[in-house]
Amino acid sequence: MSKIEHDRTHHAAKATGIGDPQCFHGEAGPAKFKVGDEVRVRNLPDLFYTRCQVYTRGAVGRVTEVVYESPAAEDESWDNTDQPEWFYSVVFRQKELWPDYPDLYENDTLETEFSERWLEAP
Amino acid sequence: MSESTREQVMRHLETVGYLQPALHKPQHAPYPDQIDHNLYRAYTRSAHDVGGEPDVPITWEEKEEEQWELNTFATCECLAWRGVWNAEERRRRQNVDLGQTQYLGLPYYGRWLLTAARILVDKQYVTLTELVNKIDEVKRRHEQD
Repeated sequence: MSKIEHDRTHHAAKATGIGDPQCFHGEAGPAKFKVGDEVRVRNLPDLFYTRCQVYTRGAVGRVTEVVYESPAAEDESWDNTDQPEWFYSVVFRQKELWPDYPDLYENDTLETEFSERWLEAP
Repeated sequence: MSESTREQVMRHLETVGYLQPALHKPQHAPYPDQIDHNLYRAYTRSAHDVGGEPDVPITWEEKEEEQWELNTFATCECLAWRGVWNAEERRRRQNVDLGQTQYLGLPYYGRWLLTAARILVDKQYVTLTELVNKIDEVKRRHEQD
């Protein structure tokens, strides 16, 4: 019987004593967006795996924090960790996400996180 | 562009809602022309991406973890520590790969446990034959007690 070699020990070794995502610090290059930037969530295919919530696609929000560097979920879930990306915390008006959201609560917001590939300038 | 994406999103959320009560709308092995893009996207989406779907309230229960649930958590963490998977691969497998029926139908740590067994088989740490024989052995031992 032939066995495929699945090496996941490199990840444990890299993160031990440092933490994850801290172990990817400095690997993503310059961040494309900064705090205060308006961004739109891209409508990329979400085949097989993603952690980008579908209800945010196409919505415009504002970056509140450039949070950390890490491989995107779509890569890391198959252990492809060579290309970390910046992650951003983005705040949306609830009204932007849910057309039927009551006007009475027009100041309500929702904040969630994205890897850089999911964002573009509006 | 943005407006049509938003319209798409709202339609998608409505469509995945149909998939949930599968008992009300059975569909088995449809012909290709019965699946339009809208349905295709709904079927192939990540099963855990449920935010915004129409649903009914569920009962909140204040409840401690059971012992097997704690054991399952520790087992899965050990599998990561020993390099069998990383956390994101575990999430993919237990939240998405097992499919919508199991994602919605099994308890939270039931999905963890099933996935821990599955990865050991997938990556050839144990054979399915060994696993099945072990389950059978434990089952019979348990029946004798």
